[in-house]
Amino acid sequence: MQTRLYIHAHRAVRGLIEGEYRSVFHGRSMDFDDLRPYVPGDEFKDIDWKATARYGSPLTKRYIASRKHTVVLVVDTGRDMAALGAGGESKRDVAILAAGTIGYIAIRHGDLVALVAGTEKKTEFVPGELTEAHLERLLQRIQSSTRLDGAKSNLRTQLEYVSRLFRRRMIIMVIGDDRALDEAEQKLVRRLAAQHEMLWLSVGDADLMREDWAKRDMYDVADSSGVPTFLRENPRLRAAFERSVIATAESTDELFESLSISSRRVTDEDSVVPGIFRLLEAHKHARR
Amino acid sequence: MITWWAPIAWAVASGAVVALVVWQVGRARTKARDRLPVAHAERLTALPAYRRALAAYRALVVGFVLCIVALIALSAVLTARPATVTLSSPELHNRDIVLCLDVSGSMISYDAAVLDVFDSLTEEFTGERISLVVFNASAVTYFPLTNDYDYISQQLDRLGTELADDDPSYYDGTLLGNGSSLVGDGLASCVTRFDRQQDERSRSVILVSDNFIAGEQIFTLPQAAALAVDRGVRVYGINPGDSSEKDYLREYAVEFEKAMNDSGGAYYPLNDPAVVPSVVESIEAEQAAVIPGAPLVTRTEHPELWIVLAFVGLAGLLLLAWRLKR
Repeated sequence: MQTRLYIHAHRAVRGLIEGEYRSVFHGRSMDFDDLRPYVPGDEFKDIDWKATARYGSPLTKRYIASRKHTVVLVVDTGRDMAALGAGGESKRDVAILAAGTIGYIAIRHGDLVALVAGTEKKTEFVPGELTEAHLERLLQRIQSSTRLDGAKSNLRTQLEYVSRLFRRRMIIMVIGDDRALDEAEQKLVRRLAAQHEMLWLSVGDADLMREDWAKRDMYDVADSSGVPTFLRENPRLRAAFERSVIATAESTDELFESLSISSRRVTDEDSVVPGIFRLLEAHKHARR
Repeated sequence: MITWWAPIAWAVASGAVVALVVWQVGRARTKARDRLPVAHAERLTALPAYRRALAAYRALVVGFVLCIVALIALSAVLTARPATVTLSSPELHNRDIVLCLDVSGSMISYDAAVLDVFDSLTEEFTGERISLVVFNASAVTYFPLTNDYDYISQQLDRLGTELADDDPSYYDGTLLGNGSSLVGDGLASCVTRFDRQQDERSRSVILVSDNFIAGEQIFTLPQAAALAVDRGVRVYGINPGDSSEKDYLREYAVEFEKAMNDSGGAYYPLNDPAVVPSVVESIEAEQAAVIPGAPLVTRTEHPELWIVLAFVGLAGLLLLAWRLKR
């Protein structure tokens, strides 16, 4: 199973074919390609010091990637993700399970797994490595930084970070929640999807009108405002909410379809692994 | 008065309040920890259905508060016991009045004036009974003591008309005695017209006469007055014949005045029928003064409207509470 599952890279073509991946990705190999100006994130050892000395500013050597993709996990670790998900457990746990599953598949396949995680205030980047220990560290990082008393969520910060700093084509795996994308974010995502292989996994948000929660206090982690108990038992409101959840899911699907992004919504931990398999399958067969 | 245990009681009470507050705060904290964290509540709160439900809930709460305020206000009103206070002299409404009119020729205009006054007075009467007796040589009961004011008014009108038109039927039956204008007999007859002797009622006779007697009477005026005293009847005399020009009448007038005062009543000499209304008024005042017992303060409470409103408020409160609870 593991050996057959991998994240399919659609756009192939420029350059060398080696191993299972046909690749357009620049990476490190024996085959020097060209020089380009240094950008933050480049390995120091790739800097061509002689050329730099001649040119006057840092230049980095480009090689044709041997076979390794970098899978970047873009994870929201703001306090939104510490809230409850559709299945009743913390969205963080579902997100960690999803990140772990994808990371494991990627590592087993020989891809690097990097992490871009953060909140509204700051974004942290952990470069890609190929070991399971590294993946474990990434997951721990997600685990420890996603807290109810953490900073607010804003996935846009992380997406902007990715669009600003990643020049090379990568596989971007976004793990977010049911948050709606506004105009500017859609544009940003469209641009990212053009540049990278992009997959989107949404962890479903809590059912606010769940009947066995009707008697318990509930608050929105974004602003600590309460969701009044007295309205959460209203059957008419419940029906309206259910309709709106279905409608939102459909329109989100359509949106991602129009943005050429493979997407999947998972609700609880049990649905993560099958959900990811479906997502990867769908991505493989999609015409991008 | 400050007792020794008051400070201890205060300390205990303050301690209890502090403990209660601490307990409540602790409970609120526990509860806060127990709250469910969710994200993107706008998925629910942005729905039109949510806004409608919230508006409906707010309306219910506002209604509930209004009901409570109304109930408090109404209970305050009811506690104040709204009432109207009326001042009444019950004995004035407990009066029996016999109008005792001398219908000899000279008295007609005075009789008419007295009838007019009583005709208008009947409209204010509640409980008073009036009888009308006319006399000349003999006394005739025009109508007995009654509180049928329509009937009284009708009868007074009738006699007034007869007097004004000089219709002789008004003195039917009054000439059967030996003489004319027999005041003593007339008064004695009037005094005996009172019934229900065992009842505590104010009894008075308004006697209109000039005490100008012609003939032989069975009762003299003093004797009739004594009979009145005997029976607890006050006699108010109106004497149009008491005039200084007519010296020969003085003796009669003096006798008349004495008899009236003896009976506990009063004597009003006059020579103009227009003065009669003020005389009757003063008789009324005199009676009010003479009749023993303080004026009665009647408190009539009117809780009906407020009670009904309070019940409506309570029903509304229960209904809204039920709706809110659901």
